[in-house]
Amino acid sequence: MKRQPNGAYPRESPVAEHGVIDVRGRKLNLRRAGQGAPLLFLHGAQGLADHEPGLDELARHFEVIAPEHPGFGASEVCDHVDDVADLGLFYLDVLDHLKLDAIHVVGQCIGGWVALEMAIHASHRFKTLTLVNSGGLRVKDQPRGDMFVCSEDDLVKMLFTGDAGATWIKRWRATPALEELYDRNRAAAAKYTWSPRLCNPKLDQWLHRVNAPTHIIWGAHNRVIPPAYADALKALIPGATASILADCAHMAHVEKPQAFAEETTQFIRRTAP
Amino acid sequence: MKVFTFHLMPYADLDMNFMDKHRAAWVVLPNTYYDPKKGHELYNRYLDELELAAELGFDGISVNEHHQNAYGLMPSPVVTAAALARRTKNAKIAILGNAFGLREHPLNVAEEHSMIDNITGGRLITGMVRGIGAEYFSTGNNPAFSHARFQEAHDLVVQAWTRPGPFSFEGKFYHFEYVNMWPRPFQQPHPPIWTPSTGSTETIEWSAHPSRKYTYLQAYSPTQSVARFLNYYRQCAQTMYGYTASSDQIGWSTPVYISDTDEKARAEAKPHIEILFNKLLRLPFEMLFPPGYLSPKSLANMRSHKRSVSGQEHTIDTLIEQGIIVCGSPETVRKQFINTHRLLGFQNLLCLMQFGTLPRDLTERNIRLFASEVLPTLQGLTDKEYVGMEMRAAE
Repeated sequence: MKRQPNGAYPRESPVAEHGVIDVRGRKLNLRRAGQGAPLLFLHGAQGLADHEPGLDELARHFEVIAPEHPGFGASEVCDHVDDVADLGLFYLDVLDHLKLDAIHVVGQCIGGWVALEMAIHASHRFKTLTLVNSGGLRVKDQPRGDMFVCSEDDLVKMLFTGDAGATWIKRWRATPALEELYDRNRAAAAKYTWSPRLCNPKLDQWLHRVNAPTHIIWGAHNRVIPPAYADALKALIPGATASILADCAHMAHVEKPQAFAEETTQFIRRTAP
Repeated sequence: MKVFTFHLMPYADLDMNFMDKHRAAWVVLPNTYYDPKKGHELYNRYLDELELAAELGFDGISVNEHHQNAYGLMPSPVVTAAALARRTKNAKIAILGNAFGLREHPLNVAEEHSMIDNITGGRLITGMVRGIGAEYFSTGNNPAFSHARFQEAHDLVVQAWTRPGPFSFEGKFYHFEYVNMWPRPFQQPHPPIWTPSTGSTETIEWSAHPSRKYTYLQAYSPTQSVARFLNYYRQCAQTMYGYTASSDQIGWSTPVYISDTDEKARAEAKPHIEILFNKLLRLPFEMLFPPGYLSPKSLANMRSHKRSVSGQEHTIDTLIEQGIIVCGSPETVRKQFINTHRLLGFQNLLCLMQFGTLPRDLTERNIRLFASEVLPTLQGLTDKEYVGMEMRAAE
């Protein structure tokens, strides 16, 4: 998907097909696009925007399945899915529901953390795991940025390095309905990550259980979760590789959609041709 | 009408240029701005002011809870309430409120309330609050569970106060094998429970429920909003629950300043009240309403209401004009309360007699003038003077 001269992405996005599935009585909204090996994309604290350029890129090679976590976007709140560990188990239910045995999983921010919670229990469900600016880990003396206390302007500066942030937030502010979704996503993100902020302090003790080919992609200028976390994840997950994207912060899949998709695709091809 | 005074115990010695460097007097304001020597003087002065009000015939004196800020130095209002317990004889002591749900162990707070109720022979009023949004940053509590946790803490505390122990409590947030409160509260079945709020729809509906009928106290807001929220409580009682709320269930809280003339009152109060609203109370939207703290419906309501309280630069004129504060000569203040009471029928009034940097001498005179010139009239007001909701709608 190429950008138009004005910097916007075309209106007709392939990752626009929505479908609601019922997972043990809870309505979950899924977006699907593309053809190929199934790839589960787990979104981050910012939810899924109306256009997700990074997913459009991935959809050229894979069947992208991008659910909105319970409480985000058009997905129902699940009263018993309270934290990211719950989300990890919930998505194992989702894989069962979709009859997907082993697939590629890509997770950004909270989504990476969800994938890790799944993988420490059920690595056999993963063909590959791609972690993009992933949450979940706590690294001593490497403070994470707080996405909740700052002003919206500062948040956008923290999430992006370049101009893509201005376009991104403008899209969320375009209509009252989108504004409401934005607030809904923030509330859901708080529910899952407020305390301890954006991490499971015990996760590091269990990452040795991740038994799937893993690649780590990180924005060089990520101030929400600094690049030191990429190094720490690489050291803790057996056999993991990592690459750092230049001129990129936390929202790699939006800010550098092509680089994000290329890194992911090449890793998957390399590992599971 | 029952008339209370309440204190926020602000850190009045704050270097008011703090806003050049910091976004708020909450959460992120370094505690190096606090000087314990000045704090010592302030605490004792403020306690004197509450004791004076009790002596002069206010029905009650009140304290509240806020964390990690210069706006109010009472992270534990139980401490100030306990300090007042033995220094007062007849006045109610109202903790408005304590955020039981912010605690890991709400039972400990309930025990402390019970102790104060025993020591004072039943003069305690227990306020239950969720705590404002900023507290969720300061205490680490998850704002998304704020309502649920508040309600569960309430259930736990009321059971602990009323059910013979020991019994076990198994909730979503709280788990106790042995709930067996010693001492039980002095008042039976338990101290009156009030719910101070800035107008959360869920809190109003919850408080008005027939199993609770808690006194709802609207914190300072423009008259229009006060009217909307207090009437909403009465409407809930009527239409959702099928009973008529007593005016004893309705309360309003507002800053008050009295001097000899309207002009003098305005001039004297101006710098101090403007510091309260423009410096101490100024909170970025993100801190005031962290994600999940409000339901989507309340968030929409609040966007319009709160803009006028904490989102704009206030002057004393805008504050008086919007009815956020009551300020003037004794006659002006008396008339305004009589008039507002006629329209809204609150049988509980909480007056903030010290605010921002208002110094000791002006605060004391404010309390004395109020006690002699306004208080007796207000204490004589009954529900007979209230025009009622239907009447008002017809006007």
